[in-house]
Amino acid sequence: MVCLGERGVCLEKEVFPVKFAVVEKVLDLARANSIWPMTFGLACCAIEMMSTAMSRFDLDRFGAGVFRATPRQADLMIVSGTVTKKMAPVLVTLYEQMPSPKWVLAMGNCAISGGPFVFEGQYNVIEGVDLLVPVDVYVPGCPPRPEALLEGFLKLEEKITGKRRFPGPESRW
Amino acid sequence: MEQIGNMIGWETVKMVVGLVGVLVFVVLNALILTWAERKVAGHMQRRIGPKEVGPYGLIQPIADALKLLGKEILTPREVDKPLYYLAPMIIFVPVLVSFVVIPFDASLQVMDINVGILVILAFSSLSVFSILMAGWGSNNKYALIGAIRSIAQNIAYEIPLLLALLPIIMMTNSFSLKSIVEAQHGLWFVVYQPFAFLIYFIAGVAETNRTPFDLPEAESELVAGYHTEYSGMRFALFFLAEYTNIFIVSAIAVTFFLGGYQGPFLPGIIWFLLKSYLLVFVIMWLRWTYPRVRFDQLLNISWKALIPLSFINLLITGGLLKL
Amino acid sequence: MVERIKAELGATLKETPVGEADYRERGYHLFAEVASADLLNVARFFDERGFYLAALICVDYKEYLELVYIFSNHASLCKVKITLKIDPAKPVAPTISTVFDCAYWHEREIREFFGVSFDGHPNMTYLFLHEGIDFYPLRKEKIPVSDEDKKALGAFRPGEGEDTFFVNLGPQHPSTHGVLRVVLKMDGEYIEDAQPVLGYLHRMHEKMAENRSYLQFLPNTGRMDYLGPMAFNLGYVTAVERLCGIPVPDRANYVRVILTELNRLSSHLMWLGAYLADLGALTPFLFVFDDREEINDILEPVTGSRLTYCYFRFGGLYNDVDDAFVAGTRAFIERLRSRFSLYEKLVGGNVIFTNRTRGIGVITKERARKQAVSGPVLRGAGIPMDIRKSEPCAAYGEMDFDVPVGTRGDALDMYQVRIREMENALNIIEQALARLPEGPIMTEKAPRKLKPPKGDLYHTVETPRGELGIYIVSDESDKPYRMKWRVPSFSNLMIFPELAKGNLLADAVAILGSLDLVIPEIDR
Ligand code: SF4
Repeated sequence: MVCLGERGVCLEKEVFPVKFAVVEKVLDLARANSIWPMTFGLACCAIEMMSTAMSRFDLDRFGAGVFRATPRQADLMIVSGTVTKKMAPVLVTLYEQMPSPKWVLAMGNCAISGGPFVFEGQYNVIEGVDLLVPVDVYVPGCPPRPEALLEGFLKLEEKITGKRRFPGPESRW
Repeated sequence: MEQIGNMIGWETVKMVVGLVGVLVFVVLNALILTWAERKVAGHMQRRIGPKEVGPYGLIQPIADALKLLGKEILTPREVDKPLYYLAPMIIFVPVLVSFVVIPFDASLQVMDINVGILVILAFSSLSVFSILMAGWGSNNKYALIGAIRSIAQNIAYEIPLLLALLPIIMMTNSFSLKSIVEAQHGLWFVVYQPFAFLIYFIAGVAETNRTPFDLPEAESELVAGYHTEYSGMRFALFFLAEYTNIFIVSAIAVTFFLGGYQGPFLPGIIWFLLKSYLLVFVIMWLRWTYPRVRFDQLLNISWKALIPLSFINLLITGGLLKL
Repeated sequence: MVERIKAELGATLKETPVGEADYRERGYHLFAEVASADLLNVARFFDERGFYLAALICVDYKEYLELVYIFSNHASLCKVKITLKIDPAKPVAPTISTVFDCAYWHEREIREFFGVSFDGHPNMTYLFLHEGIDFYPLRKEKIPVSDEDKKALGAFRPGEGEDTFFVNLGPQHPSTHGVLRVVLKMDGEYIEDAQPVLGYLHRMHEKMAENRSYLQFLPNTGRMDYLGPMAFNLGYVTAVERLCGIPVPDRANYVRVILTELNRLSSHLMWLGAYLADLGALTPFLFVFDDREEINDILEPVTGSRLTYCYFRFGGLYNDVDDAFVAGTRAFIERLRSRFSLYEKLVGGNVIFTNRTRGIGVITKERARKQAVSGPVLRGAGIPMDIRKSEPCAAYGEMDFDVPVGTRGDALDMYQVRIREMENALNIIEQALARLPEGPIMTEKAPRKLKPPKGDLYHTVETPRGELGIYIVSDESDKPYRMKWRVPSFSNLMIFPELAKGNLLADAVAILGSLDLVIPEIDR
């Protein structure tokens, strides 16, 4: 028996004598090109997330502009902002409500490590959303520019398909 | 071939072929419309919309569909299972049946039933059941409110919808869609019945739950309305049904008011699709321009404006016909 | 006014003396320390004279806890500080939520952050914090929350009635613009009761302020209200300047006005888009973001960031503006003017929009005062109060602009007030650009290490959402002893429950939108 995705559609190999590697590849390509994020803005970074979806940067070019308000129909959770201890259980619930395959993108320093709100005696901020849910892509910045978030999406696509959509910037170092 | 045909009857073969054709069309139509919707929205919002996936983003809907297919089939623990499972399937029955009687061209119609319009209207009320089942079965408050809104809305708008079509039926003395189209050989009925057309169109937009009447799935209030708890393929079915409904509403408008498949030079089917998609575009245009009305306003529009108006229109038509 | 209040208050208080403070230094005119038995009388005294409770602050002085009540006035400039000392071992104080409704919320806040319980308060449960926190965060020493207190604090449980059910609007909900949670008790589509639950984005700004030097805290201000960070920046910077007596050069003052107003524009534009998205029209959202990007194009080269600006410095600015900035701003003013007519046609003239907002969420002048709402919401309710006029900081005093007010106090009025305010902002920017003086942008007298003299200060500025009050207590060290932010959205949100009652769910969304809330600012 082969499963597509973590807990995706399960098919009996005998019934479907298909080359699963190929099917999986095609599906991956489809997934990479249709990442629907969840409408889930937490703090300042959420505004930059919205900017990314708006006219100038237009996330929809990559097929990722369909923001779904319900976790059941989303593929990607963009954690855009500070996660507090009060919010943490809600965030985990939302993550668990998403059907797999699902991804998490930690946007901004707060989501990555607690950002500017880590100090001795802090009592309310989760220092990194990866303590709660597995994170696929980290986009640093406070807040990250929309271009950075776009790059995050490209990275996520690369992670899914193994290939990069555009040639990346040349590294000078 | 001949023998097989005779054995099970040509009608049945035609039905089967027709149904397969309809299914293919339904899927194609939804794919095109989702793409078009995103493109139209994009261009109205000063951006481009899907662009990178295939030329002009044309492969985008296929990617979306495949992705939804490959999603985990997830059933929330608290749902009412039979209702939850059945709802997305049932929403397809009225959609498919409606297609059977719509004349795409003079000879392109699965079945010309002499009560065609009645079949469509009767079955289209069925979609309410599906929405109610989805809302109730999901065991989610947003979904339930969405479903209840949807029922009130559908009941309220079915009446003006029907009343707007009645004058045409009186004028042609026929329930058959084909003869209605044939009767518009000279002038389109929209010329005789502009009010009926407007009323029908408004009610039709409301029936398909589109902005400004998209209360059942009002995103800013109800998250996603009755399909809040649906994911993957089940959600895709609702999506498919929504877009097919839009097409059907436009197709009926074309059949009744805009001369159906009739038109010069081009083949009938092209004319039919052109006119239908033009109306579909108008519906999309409305969606990306207007805010949503409130629930009581929504009902008021129907009960206090559309229904009396369509009655008056009906009376006048009847009187004129008698003269 | 000040004289009269002083005399009358002295007569009411009898024994306790009423002191007069230097307004320029302290930010209030009168102060008095009252006994807890007198407090309610004092509250009634101010209520009768049309004052509102601007802020309710608690400060932990180790030997005693001090409650600070700032009363202020819409009609004329007169601020009074009333203090009440309480015993830190057994902190109890009488509630004044029976007189001023907004105290209900402030007292709940103080309860969980300081452990002060208020006699006669109907609902002393968690508002910001959650049950996992076992000490009172803002006390100077670590005081554990006793089990008894914990039980009382965690008592908030929505129970279902017979014909009613509960709907949680948030914390993740498209219409709350962030992580606000409102528990709605519904009867069908009608709302019977609404209870905001806050703290999903409580980022401990006030605690952080006590751990950082004055300059180190500066970036925090931009993160509190991410839509109008300039105004928060301005408020904080001018407050510290006032505390330390740092002069600011003219050019800096003018640039401050220009940038704050540009930011106000972008904040109001964002509100417009988000509000229409709440009402179901998505396209305007993208249009306003287009304009916002234009503003960002102007601000980014100058300030270095797109969103969480941190541009003003104590005694001046971080960076001078150049000709390109001036030219860009002028071009932008032209552009936005032409866009207004478009918005007016598409939004203001839209039947669906006006029908959805007219008569919705009506705020009367009296309720606005009792709940201490401020900013465009207050002006929409018909009270012409603008801190840019009454207590001008930077170069606002030299600008000529009017204060738009509404007549009905409904959501449509809030819309019109904000639109007119945007036009005003354009005028202000134009004036400031025309008069922009040459000169230095940074004073030379700014000390390297700030050590303000002992004392307190209540400083207010007008942010896009209303009155921002900053209460700083200095103990002569380089860190503030206590810093309290009286934020506008917090007070504006508190009027929501009474507005929502008896309305449809769709209306509640429209009302919530018309208040223009920014959640991190509420939660701090
Ligand atoms: S990373 Fe910076 S901008 Fe983003 S949420 Fe945190 S503080 Fe705000």
